[in-house]
Amino acid sequence: MWQLLNSDMEFLVESDFIYLPLLLDPEIEKEVQALFRPGKPMENSGHPESKTIIAHQDRQFVKALNIHSVLENYETINAYDYKRQRKEFLRKYQLTREVDGILLDDTLKTILFQVMPYFVRKNRGLQRKKLRDEEILDLVGEKIDIPGKYYKEAKTFRDVEPLKAILKGLENQKPIFKSPGNGLLSAHQLRDWFHEAVHAKILASEHDRLTKALQIRLQFSQAKPEHAATLLYIADTGSMEMDGFGFTRKNAYKGEYFVYKRIGEYVLKDYSARSYLFPDCRVALSTYTPFRPFVMEKYKHPFLLRHKSGQEICMKHFAPPHEFTAENAIRILEEGLTALRYGYDARRRNGYHSLERTWVYIPTIDFEDYRI
Amino acid sequence: MTFLQHIRNERARQRKKKPLKREVFNQICSLVKQYDLKESFLSVLDNVEDDLSAENLKFTRVRLKTPMESSLFSLATKDEYSLTMSIISKVDNAYLKFANSPEEILLCGPLCRLNPSLTNQKLMRYHFETLLLHERAKASNSEVPPKIDEVM
Repeated sequence: MWQLLNSDMEFLVESDFIYLPLLLDPEIEKEVQALFRPGKPMENSGHPESKTIIAHQDRQFVKALNIHSVLENYETINAYDYKRQRKEFLRKYQLTREVDGILLDDTLKTILFQVMPYFVRKNRGLQRKKLRDEEILDLVGEKIDIPGKYYKEAKTFRDVEPLKAILKGLENQKPIFKSPGNGLLSAHQLRDWFHEAVHAKILASEHDRLTKALQIRLQFSQAKPEHAATLLYIADTGSMEMDGFGFTRKNAYKGEYFVYKRIGEYVLKDYSARSYLFPDCRVALSTYTPFRPFVMEKYKHPFLLRHKSGQEICMKHFAPPHEFTAENAIRILEEGLTALRYGYDARRRNGYHSLERTWVYIPTIDFEDYRI
Repeated sequence: MTFLQHIRNERARQRKKKPLKREVFNQICSLVKQYDLKESFLSVLDNVEDDLSAENLKFTRVRLKTPMESSLFSLATKDEYSLTMSIISKVDNAYLKFANSPEEILLCGPLCRLNPSLTNQKLMRYHFETLLLHERAKASNSEVPPKIDEVM
C-alpha cells in the first residue's frame, strides 16, 4: 500500500473505495470484455457503488481498498509511522510524560492506600485508628525524602489552566474528517489526504486522554501541594519502600508491580535444637498472576527448592486467589512470611531440605554457614 | 476397460504433474517491461528485413542467449499490454516465445521463414542471430557448413 502511495500512479476514488489501475493479461482482458459486454446485467445491480471494475476516461480501474478500513487499522498496518506521527503530536503539545496515566492506575492506588497501611507503623504509642488517604500521603511524605523537583512539578501539575487552554486549542483546530471525494487522485494527493486523516484520528484519541488528564488534575488542584508531590514522585519512580514494606514497578509488564515485605533476620532450629540465623529477604507478590508468594533475592531456605532468586515458597494447602485485591495481597504476603519464619518443623523436617546434614539423602542445599 | 479402471486412470492422469508451459505473452511482456520498450519498437520491427540485408553476414562465432528471468505470470499496464499484443500479432510465429531480448524478437520472423523446423533445444540455447547466420550460410553456400553444435 505505502509503496503505491509513494509511486507516481493515479488512483480512482469511488464510494469510499480506492480503485487501482487494472493490470492486464489475455485472460483478464477476456473477463473484462465479458463484463462490459452490452446487454449483460449489471453486477450487484441493487448496489451500483460496489462495482469491481470501473471504466474512467478510457482507463479501467479495479476495486482494491476501503479507505475507512485502512484508516481505522492504520495503527496496526503501519505501526512505525503511526507512532512517529503520534510522538510528533505529543511533543507539539508537551504531553510526552505519562504520569497522568499512572495516577489513574487502580493497582497503584490499591497498593498505596489499602495494602501499605496494613504493613507500616502508622501510629505512635497505643493509639489505633484507620488512616485516611491524605494521612497516608502525609506519612509517606514524612518518612521518604522526596526530591525538590517534584514539589516544583506539583505546582505546575495543580495548575489546570494551561491544560484547559491546550484542550480548547485542540477542539478549535480539530479537523473535520472529510472523505477525499470521488474522482482521479494522484499518489501524492492521496498520501497527503491520508496524512491529514491520520492526524485527525490521533487528535481524537488524544483529546479523550487529555479530558481524562484534566479530570485528574482538577482533583489534584484541591489537594495539598505536598500530596501532589508525593504522588508524582511515586508515579514517576514506580517504587517505594517504607518500614520494610515496598513495591516496585515491573519493567516487562506495563502497569504491573511487585509488592514486597522484608522479613528481617530470624532464627530456625534443627532437630538437635541448634540455631540457624537466616538473613533478611523480601517476600514478594506480583500483581500479575500467579498470585503466590516468592522470595526476590538469591536465598536458601528449607522451603525453597534451590539457592537462587525469584523462587516460590513451598506451602502445603495454599490455594492462590484468582484476582488481585488488597485483602488477597495482605493474606498472601502474611502466609509467605509466616511460612518462612514459623513453617519449618525440626522434628518432621518438612520442606525440600532439612537444616542439619542428613546422610540418608544426598543434600543439595547446606545450611551450615547459617549456624550460630 | 471397466468403469472402475476408467475412474482410476482418470484420477492418475489428474494427479500427474503438469509442466508449466512457456507462454508467449509472459515472455514478451517481460521483455517489454525489462527493456522498457515503446511503440517505436513496432516500426523497427517493420523495417527489420532491410536492416538485415545490409548487415555483414560473416559467421564469426557462436553467440549464446542473454540470460533472462521472465516472470511466470505477467501483468501489464494498458500501454504495455497493447504493445505486447501488437508485437505478438505482428511477429506471429512459434519462435517468438524463445526470444530473450528485443534483438531476438526482430530476428524471429526472418529465422522462421528460413527454417520453420528448428528444435526447441536449439532455440533455447543459441542466439537467434547465430541461428539466422547459420541458416543463411546453409542456404547460400553449396558446401555444407559445420554443424552448429560442432562449432561450440
